[in-house]
Amino acid sequence: MQNLLEACAITKHFGATVALDAVDFSARAGEIHALLGQNGAGKTTLMNILAGHLRPDLGTVTLDGVAIKTASPQTALRAGIAAVHQSPMLFEHLSAVENLALGGFVRRGLALNEVAERAGAMARSLSFPVQLPPKNLTGLSLAQRMRLEILRALSFQPRVLMLDEPTGLLAPGELSGFLDLLRALRNRGCAVVFITHKLAEAMAVADRITMLRAGRVVDQTSPPQTTIEQLAALMLGNAVELARPKKSHRRGAEVLRLEGLSLEVDGVALVDEVSLRLHAGEILAIAGVDGNGQRELAEILACSRRPTSGQILLHGQPAGARAMGQIAVVPQNRDQEGLIPGMELWENLLLSPALRRQMQTAGVQRRSAAIALCSVLLKRFSIRARSPRQKAADLSGGHRQRLMIARALASRPAVLVAHDLTRGLDVSAAAEVSRIVREFADQGGAAIMISTDLDEVFGLGDRIAVISRGRLFEVPTANLTIERVGLLMAGVGQHR
Amino acid sequence: MSPVISATVKPLAAMAVAIGLLAIGLAALGANPAVTLTALLSGAFGDWLAVADTLLKATPLVFTGLSVSLAFSGSIWNIGAEGQLLFGALAATACGIHLARWSHVAAISAVLGAGAIAGALAGALCGWLRTRFSVNEVISTIMLNFIALQAVSWAVHGPLMEPSHSYPISQKLPAAACMHWFFPPSRLNCGLLLAIGLAPACYFWLYRTNSGFELRAVGRNPRATAFFGIAAGPITVVAMALSGGLAGLGGAVQVCAITQRLFERFSPGWGYEAIAVALVARLNPLAVVPSALFFGALDNGAQVIQRTQGVSPVLVQAAQGLIIFVLLAFDTPILARGRSATLPHHKQPADA
Repeated sequence: MQNLLEACAITKHFGATVALDAVDFSARAGEIHALLGQNGAGKTTLMNILAGHLRPDLGTVTLDGVAIKTASPQTALRAGIAAVHQSPMLFEHLSAVENLALGGFVRRGLALNEVAERAGAMARSLSFPVQLPPKNLTGLSLAQRMRLEILRALSFQPRVLMLDEPTGLLAPGELSGFLDLLRALRNRGCAVVFITHKLAEAMAVADRITMLRAGRVVDQTSPPQTTIEQLAALMLGNAVELARPKKSHRRGAEVLRLEGLSLEVDGVALVDEVSLRLHAGEILAIAGVDGNGQRELAEILACSRRPTSGQILLHGQPAGARAMGQIAVVPQNRDQEGLIPGMELWENLLLSPALRRQMQTAGVQRRSAAIALCSVLLKRFSIRARSPRQKAADLSGGHRQRLMIARALASRPAVLVAHDLTRGLDVSAAAEVSRIVREFADQGGAAIMISTDLDEVFGLGDRIAVISRGRLFEVPTANLTIERVGLLMAGVGQHR
Repeated sequence: MSPVISATVKPLAAMAVAIGLLAIGLAALGANPAVTLTALLSGAFGDWLAVADTLLKATPLVFTGLSVSLAFSGSIWNIGAEGQLLFGALAATACGIHLARWSHVAAISAVLGAGAIAGALAGALCGWLRTRFSVNEVISTIMLNFIALQAVSWAVHGPLMEPSHSYPISQKLPAAACMHWFFPPSRLNCGLLLAIGLAPACYFWLYRTNSGFELRAVGRNPRATAFFGIAAGPITVVAMALSGGLAGLGGAVQVCAITQRLFERFSPGWGYEAIAVALVARLNPLAVVPSALFFGALDNGAQVIQRTQGVSPVLVQAAQGLIIFVLLAFDTPILARGRSATLPHHKQPADA
């Protein structure tokens, strides 16, 4: 079959990180091509390059044998390449129909009511239910937003439609209908590129499968020739085979217990009956693909979100607001949630509620004490900074990460929760922060590491659990294999 | 360049550029720039009465400038200092005219308190609307400016109208509620001292207390503060109340120290000029005082050159506007060579 879209030897760097390394990829008309890989494998970067959002450092993209020279979303769309992004990119304050009108309909000069009609007709012909609220999008669920974005992409009548993790936001019952939509599009002759990390979905619907790992294509195959187990092993790589949890850790008294913790939003359980026990000296690693409730779990533990049900016990006592100060959380997103880049280092320390309470007298900051503490922490955690008065933005990513960990540990918490502890760090920096956490546990602390990186999970966790669709499954050390963790992460074989 | 130096140099350079542009404008209109600018300068600082007048013109700008810089420091865009000042003046007048038999200190305190409270309520209302109903504070504060304007107009035509009912002005405040003029014929009074004293207080609150820290942190990164359990709502309401209170106090001071009564067009736009004052001061409360003095001097000098040189004061107002443009230009990445800390940080490719 003729390739419709062809990408040749695409290479893309972000600073020192290689996001894509000489990647070849193609899409054919009337085919669903699943692009698989872990978080950070380069799937989204590849899509962004194909959709014209990013320019590759090297390599060419051709459509129908003609090279697409100037990369921009407009040229890509005009050529017939449309993308649906992982988090819907919609205009919050416009109506659904207006959002659609900003897609391909308006290019053909349609009035708003015609847009609504066309969109409705298109949705019906694909048996694809879409809600079109008349005012703005407030109250529209994420799954509905995703549908709206898909419909808008379709309005360009694309020849190639790329969808980035579109099923992550769907409720379990909506999945089969969605896969039918992909099949319907394929049968109309559209080239569908389906980006996912859920192996079962790819196996169910794809004609071809390309597997990315760390920016390289590691396999090209098709469902009849492979199995979910083989794919899982491919996706995760074999590096993790080396490191295994140390079983000889000293286990102290129970520090933290979660009982039936749930968080429901719009009827979807983002965190679903999570229960766990954590003892002093222990590191529990929670593996999982992003968007399966880790963020919400971290937010609940950080006390910035209230669970719908369930309770948190610290040292056997239900934890009140004050006791929650003993749980220090390192958030996932350094610059958006963890730090205030425009503020000074010592001020960033005071974001921690526990430190803010310590470093004040009657509401007045003990400024010199805070600056002194910051100096001590800079030294103790070898954070490369000129002074505590420097802005956080001036530190490199690794050192900003250390600052967050230093802040979390400075208040001497009973429990440390770190989300994506080593994200974006190079090997030595990652090893350094891992060592800090290990030390914390060895000195009687209890830690929860939430991570998508199995190297980190296997390297650091004394116990390993997997979170998938908001549910937590502890993997008994006895049958702890990479395949088993991989399958659980991919949402296969979940039994309580 | 160290941050302190760049924070000082940029506004000064902006002022210089703006005055240069003003000179070009004067020349284009056929006036002699050197003569006119000299007249402007001597109008503002020529003799001790001119200096006193400049100080008096700067006083309300210090109050409103502090008001704006406080709110803006938390990324709360309070455009309503004008309205809050008017509410303050209205409340101060309504309260002051009944205090003829009070002692001087008590009456002044009551008048100033009434003004501050009225402004604080107007500010807090907008803060609460933003917190509770996500009403954009820019819109609510601007709208409240018009309401305040109409409220003053209604009051001086109605309940507060002077006893003879022939002029749309309020009754004169009793002597007990009026501030003492130190060196007549100048109207120098305690108001300026109060304003200057409040600047370090505002600075202390913003940069030395937990709640001031929370306000600045929420303004810079609401997602991070939400993650660490700092609720944006209460601090927004508190900041707007403080901001409104400062502007209201400025209105009250103006009533009991200078005008001694309320009338329509009470404010020439101090609340709006305050935005320029605060921006030139880089939202630093301590820098608001010199910034307000600069703008007060321009205002004062502009009136003088209108009388003596026949140059419209509008030209000076235009120059004041230009300062902001020049400042903004200094902050653009090209001129700041891409190292401006005020720009939002570029997101790292999360899925790289």
